[in-house]
Amino acid sequence: MNLVLRLAWRNLWRQPRRTWLTTGAMVFSNVLLVFMISLQFGMYRLMIENSLQAFTGHMQVQAQGYNDDKKMRQTVPDIVPLASALRSQLDSDEVAARATAFALASSEERSYGIAVFGVEPRFEPHVSSIPGLVREGRYLDSNEAPEIVIGKVLARNLRVQVGDELTLLGSGRDGSFAAVVATVVGIFDSGVADLDRTIAEMPLGLFQDVFYMRGSGHQVVVNAPRLGQVAELKQRVAGLLPEDQGLVVQDWDALLPGLKQAIQADISSAVFMYAVLVILVAFSVLNTQLMSVLERTHEFGIVLALGLKPGRLGRLVMLETAMMGTMGLLLGALIGGAVTAWLGIQGFTMPGMDEMGAKFNLPSRLHPDVTIASLLSGPAVVFLFSLLASAYPALRIRRLHPVEAMRSA
Amino acid sequence: MTAVRCVDLCKTYRQGDQDIKALDHLSMEVEEGGFVCLSSPSGGGKTTLLNAIGGLDKPDSGEVYIAGERIDNLSKGNLAELRLHRIGFVFQAFNLIPVLSARENVEFVMQVQGVPASERREKSLEILEEVGLEGLEDRLPSEMSGGQQQRVAVARAIVSNPALVLADEPTANLDSKTADGLIDLFKHLNEHHGTTFIIATHDQRVMAYAKRLVRMLDGRIVEEIDQNAA
Amino acid sequence: MINTLRILTMLAWRNLWRNHRRTLIMLGAVVIGVWAMIFMTALTMGMVNDMIEDSISALPGHVQVHHPDYLDDPNITNLLPLPEEAIADRFRSAGFLAWATRIKVPAVLSSERESRGVTLLGIDPQREEAMSFVDYSAVEGRFLEGPDDAGIVIGRKLAETLETELGKRVVLMSQDPDNDIADRGFRVVGLFSADVQAYEEQYVFAGKKTVQDLLRVGDRVTSIVVLGDDYRDVEPVFAKVSALVDDGVTVSRWMEIDTYLGTMLRVMDGFVLVWVIVIFLALSFGLVNTLVMAVFERVREIGLMLALGMKPSGILGQIVIESMMLLVTGLTIGNLLAWATIKPLESGIDISVVAEGMAMMGAASVLYPQLRFEDVILANTVVLILGFFASLSPAWRASRFQPIEAITRVN
Repeated sequence: MNLVLRLAWRNLWRQPRRTWLTTGAMVFSNVLLVFMISLQFGMYRLMIENSLQAFTGHMQVQAQGYNDDKKMRQTVPDIVPLASALRSQLDSDEVAARATAFALASSEERSYGIAVFGVEPRFEPHVSSIPGLVREGRYLDSNEAPEIVIGKVLARNLRVQVGDELTLLGSGRDGSFAAVVATVVGIFDSGVADLDRTIAEMPLGLFQDVFYMRGSGHQVVVNAPRLGQVAELKQRVAGLLPEDQGLVVQDWDALLPGLKQAIQADISSAVFMYAVLVILVAFSVLNTQLMSVLERTHEFGIVLALGLKPGRLGRLVMLETAMMGTMGLLLGALIGGAVTAWLGIQGFTMPGMDEMGAKFNLPSRLHPDVTIASLLSGPAVVFLFSLLASAYPALRIRRLHPVEAMRSA
Repeated sequence: MTAVRCVDLCKTYRQGDQDIKALDHLSMEVEEGGFVCLSSPSGGGKTTLLNAIGGLDKPDSGEVYIAGERIDNLSKGNLAELRLHRIGFVFQAFNLIPVLSARENVEFVMQVQGVPASERREKSLEILEEVGLEGLEDRLPSEMSGGQQQRVAVARAIVSNPALVLADEPTANLDSKTADGLIDLFKHLNEHHGTTFIIATHDQRVMAYAKRLVRMLDGRIVEEIDQNAA
Repeated sequence: MINTLRILTMLAWRNLWRNHRRTLIMLGAVVIGVWAMIFMTALTMGMVNDMIEDSISALPGHVQVHHPDYLDDPNITNLLPLPEEAIADRFRSAGFLAWATRIKVPAVLSSERESRGVTLLGIDPQREEAMSFVDYSAVEGRFLEGPDDAGIVIGRKLAETLETELGKRVVLMSQDPDNDIADRGFRVVGLFSADVQAYEEQYVFAGKKTVQDLLRVGDRVTSIVVLGDDYRDVEPVFAKVSALVDDGVTVSRWMEIDTYLGTMLRVMDGFVLVWVIVIFLALSFGLVNTLVMAVFERVREIGLMLALGMKPSGILGQIVIESMMLLVTGLTIGNLLAWATIKPLESGIDISVVAEGMAMMGAASVLYPQLRFEDVILANTVVLILGFFASLSPAWRASRFQPIEAITRVN
């Protein structure tokens, strides 16, 4: 260790209690930040993945304006050929066409308004987890058969079982009366309350007949291999669309604006909380370093008189802070990382997590995951603000006059 | 009546790897109304003796009696009571509470004793005048010279009429005029109020006034001179 | 005793301002911490309050009575076993703030272009005005005029999606108790707006009598809804309602109907306490540090006071008082600052940039911070009590000084 480093280090331990208390404040905040940030971002990822996987998908090709109004006649023409063209051009199976309508579904005993989707039974399993979540019966397997798959809650509300018939009444694309009788072949349980209560899926071919779609549909779902590649894929898909049909690609945050905004709202309140913590630590550092500078006025006077430049003393103070900050960062990241990783393996739950989880598609046991970013981002900010806070005491040294400084006790 | 009686006091300090005998089987008696000067070379044990008498420090062995009451085995709280009501202290340096003014410093002991405010005020102004500090009552210690501070300390030590005043080098930081004034004050109190003084000093002027001189060396009394007779 | 306390207080106060820089920095930290505690709490409580009030006004009411199967299966077959008249006889004189009977069932509403699944509310508009989320006077067109009104009132957003407008006809489809399709054309007489956009898409209002005729249920209803004084304390209303109805129906509190919100209320109350404690802990390091420094600087004078006969408890008290003074000053300024920043915001903070996210959480897009007395008391009490304990350790150390060593300490 060179002399300056050694000097700074020894200065820190002239008042071990004070140094530990200041470092303690950093460690406390850092542990909290590491845990909270890991938990938060793990939660967001789950929220997004669970919400998108189930049904929405990463992006959808739609008619211009459909995303806002969801009107029956805002259609994508010749949707099956389009989907198949995209599949071959993207060299991916994760492309599937859908059409949708609202209908009154009636069983023997009950009637409910539902959203009925026409899907491509071959490709739907590649873009949605619903086909894999059929708990009773089977998923659709033909493109024309009068079959339907419904959610668990809807099945309960309608009092139907696999093999029962449902009558769907609605209006077709042109506003005319549309009706069909279909057999329930499967009941799915996605765990997402909204889907399980309101959604039914039938073969797209049947749907197009019943609702007078004339080969059109409403959305082509396209999934990217990873969430991070959505933007890039969106560009590619947009480039592949036929020019003159007014089609657009909507990515997941446009499709589910609530999801992104819920996350944003949560992030902003979290940022407020983190900022307060960081500022409190900065105050602690400011206090400690200012005191440590004032105590050493006499001693600083001597070295200034010996010809040392005030700037070097200022750097010494900054170096002391940096050392303290490094201890805080390392200890905080270490303890925070260990605690979080342990909770990540064990999983933990909070009171009320069941209800909150159901609302946001989260499991009732949370497993925060520690990443480099979640481990270091909080502590790094604390470190930075600590340095910033000690700038004032460091700059004060420039105002010292050697003789006066030496005279002071 | 005996004001202070010390019996066979021993006290050893460790300094580095050396044992220093600050008190070595020391016995001494001071009559009420006595005026005793302790003198010794630096490290001769006079401060240790004063501290033992004042209950600030416990001897390793031996007994200390104040007005016939044994004090070396009292609890912290009882010792505090004893110092508060019966002993006045003047320390060598750092005598005053920095955030209190001269008058407030003088009143401090009385206030802790529970003396009513009007009486405190009257007494403290009176005594400050007596030590020659009229007009400086509201100064903070940092606004006074060393001599002025020392006089405030003396005023505080004597204001509540303690039976015993213990002073450690009270004139060390004073010019000779101020020192003379202080000595006159001690003398006056000793003669008119019967206050017992034990003063550790090697200031010749103080020793000249003393009724009794006790010379110490290595924790023992090596010489006693009764100046009353002289 | 009083005297001692007085001098301790004076010493503490003067000592506090001796190193004014340090005290001001610490005070700044306390002020920011306290401000953040109260400000964040007010925002959180405001959000929860909005969510709950919105949700209660959509239920509506604090207590509801249904057929035992209705909550699980909100179907027209699960009617209350009592005819309306019998209900009215019992509830009329019970002295509730407001109560109403209504029919609430799922339905499909179609224009000539679009269809949507909706929740049909058959209501008596006069009875529900006090508890509804719809401001009758702000309705475009008009609200329902009575239980036998032949028109329908739908949300603005729904009108947009259905491409319909005032005066146009829509078709409402639902089922009767025998599961025969019941449908009927209605003229749209009013368009309402709601704080929570989802309500504009979900709810449609029609006259109760009209709906009873349409669904062929005679004088029966699905729900009784009762409003109490305070959503946090629904037990009195719950007990009163329970006493009024027979066995064979279910009486539910709002938090049992909307378990998410009930949970939110509890979770957020807990969150506020956790937040206050976390902030205090972050502060406590600085507080203890400041006290340790203060004690360390004053070793000699503390020794002097001990030598002069002040009891160790006096020293302890002095440091604790000094710490409490710092905290009380910080709390006062922090509370005032919080009040000053929250007051101007009480008319509402527009957070419509995340409106749909808030809707997902069940909150509206305007946030009204709620400065509740009990939350302020909570924050202040936590700071004072924990602050007291945090200052005990440095104060205890100071009181244990040996006077003689302290005085002779060179520095």
